[in-house]
Amino acid sequence: MFLLPLWTDITTSFKSLNDLINTVPVQPPLSPTIEPLIAAFNIMKRPLLNSLTFTVAATILSCLLGSINGYALTKIKFRGSNTIFLLFSIGIFLPYQAVLVPLVLTLSRLGLFNSLVGLILTHTIYGITITTLLFRNFYGLIPDSLIMAAKTDGAGTWTIYRRIILPLSLLPFVVAAVFQFTSIWNDFLFGVTLARGSEAMPASVALANLKGTTEFNWNVQMAGALWYALPILIIYLLLGKYLIRGYMAGAIKG
Amino acid sequence: MRFPSGKVFTKDTLVNLLFVLPSLVLVGYFVYVLIGWNVVVSLTDWKGLAPSYNIVGFGQYVTLFQDPEFLTSLTNNIILILLFVPSSLALGLFLAILLDSKVRGEGVFRNIYLLPFSLSYVITATLWLWMYNPKEGVINTLLRAIGLGSLQLGWTTDPNIALVCVVLAIVWQFSGYTMLIFSAGIKSIPESQIMAAEVDGAKGLDLYRRVVIPQLKTPALSAFVVLMIFALKVFDFIYVLTGGGPAGYATYVVPLLMFRNTFRMDQYANGAAMATLLFLLALVIVIPYLYLSSRREKD
Repeated sequence: MFLLPLWTDITTSFKSLNDLINTVPVQPPLSPTIEPLIAAFNIMKRPLLNSLTFTVAATILSCLLGSINGYALTKIKFRGSNTIFLLFSIGIFLPYQAVLVPLVLTLSRLGLFNSLVGLILTHTIYGITITTLLFRNFYGLIPDSLIMAAKTDGAGTWTIYRRIILPLSLLPFVVAAVFQFTSIWNDFLFGVTLARGSEAMPASVALANLKGTTEFNWNVQMAGALWYALPILIIYLLLGKYLIRGYMAGAIKG
Repeated sequence: MRFPSGKVFTKDTLVNLLFVLPSLVLVGYFVYVLIGWNVVVSLTDWKGLAPSYNIVGFGQYVTLFQDPEFLTSLTNNIILILLFVPSSLALGLFLAILLDSKVRGEGVFRNIYLLPFSLSYVITATLWLWMYNPKEGVINTLLRAIGLGSLQLGWTTDPNIALVCVVLAIVWQFSGYTMLIFSAGIKSIPESQIMAAEVDGAKGLDLYRRVVIPQLKTPALSAFVVLMIFALKVFDFIYVLTGGGPAGYATYVVPLLMFRNTFRMDQYANGAAMATLLFLLALVIVIPYLYLSSRREKD
C-alpha cells in the first residue's frame, strides 16, 4: 500500500499508449516498452545535465566551507563563535521566500540570473548553514588533546586542519555530501525563481512543466519522474545510512 | 583593539577569524542583509518590473489583511498545519513503535518508509497527481476494478476535499521521517529502565504508554519544529499537485500566493510583505526551539 505511488510510477513508465488504455495503472504493462523513457529523456536531458552540474559543484563547495567553519567553531573557539553559530543555525530554518525578491535583484545585478553559476552560488551559500552544523557536531567529538599536542609541536591553525582534522573527516564529508546532494538536487523553489525557462533550467522545473501539457501522456510524465528520481534512488540504495545520519543530525541536534 | 576583559585582539585571533570570514560574509549578506532588504521592499509601493523604493509604510500589510485571496490562503495554511503536523507525528510514533516491537526486518521497513521523504516534492506531487486523477488515475481505476466504483471521488478536483487530499499525500511523504526521529528516541532509552518497568508488570502497549512515550519529548519537539516549518513554507508540492485549485483557491497557501503575486504579477512589494510575515512566523517557531536546545547542550 505504502509503495503504491512508486509502483504505479514504474509500471506506467514502461507502458505503450495501448497498454495505458487497456490496463489499470497498478497492473504491469502487457508488452513493456522503453519508448516513454526515451521520450522523457529527450525532453529532460538538458535540465538533468544542468541539475547534475550545479548540484555537484554546490555540494563540494558547501561541504568544504562547512568543514572549515565547523573546525573553526569547535577547535579554535574565539570570541563570538557561539553567536556566529547561532546566526548560521537560524539560516537552516529560514523560509527562502524571505530572501527571494532581493536575491533575484542581487543575482541580476551580478549578471548571474538564469545561469548555472547563479544556482551554484545560491545553493552553496544556503547550504553552508546546515553543513556547518553537521561538521561542528562531528568535530566536537575529536578530543582537544590531539589539537593541543600538535600546537605544542608548533603546528599552525591551518596545518592542524590539513594534517589532523581533514584526514579524520571522511565520515562527516560523506554524510554532508549525501545530504547536500539530495537537498540541492530536489530543490524547486530556487530553480523556478532563478532559472525558469532558461538554458540553466533544473530538472525539477522541467518535470513540473511536463504536467498539464496535453501532448505528453501519463506514461511520459511518469517516466520523467523516474529519470529525475534516479540519482536519488541510487544514492538511497548505496549510501542510505549516511543520508539517514544527515536527517538525524539536522533535527536532533539542531 | 581591546575587549572589556582586557584581552588583546592578537594576530592569532585575526588569522582564526579568517577561517570563517568567507562564510560569514556570504551568509551575512545572503541571509541577513537580504532579509532586511526584503522588509524594506515590503514597505514600498513597488509594482511592475522596475524597482521602486518609494517608502509608503505598512500599507502593504494592511492591504494583505483586507485581501480575500490572502485571507483564504492563510486560512488554508493554518488548516493544513493543524491537520498535517499532528497526523504526521501520530503516524510516525505508531510506525516507530511497530518497528521497535517487531525486530526482524527492521532495517528494510525503515528504508521503505523513509524513501518518499528523500524524493523531491516535485516527484511525489507528480506521483500523487497520477494517484488522484479522477478519470484514469490509480485510486479510482483500482476502486472500479474491485467493484467499489461507487466509492470514487473527485479527490484533488473536488474543492471540498482537495486540501485533505494534499495533507494525506504529504503525511505519506513525512511519516517515514517522524518514524526515524521517534525510533532513535526509543533506542536511546536505557535498557535497564525498560526492564525495571517490565519487572513492575508493565507489558505491551502499557509499557510504551508509561515508560517510552513520556521520554520522547525531545525527539517530538525536533520533529514538531521541522514539520511546522515545512507546513508553513509548503510550496513545491502544492504548486505541482493542484496549483492552488480547484475552484480557484481551494488549496492556495501563502507561499504559493507570494510566488504568484511576486513573480507572475510583478507585485513585488506585496510579495515581500507576505515573505516577511512568513519569516516572522518561522522565527516564532524556531527561536524558542534554538534557545531550548542550546540550554540543553550546556547542561
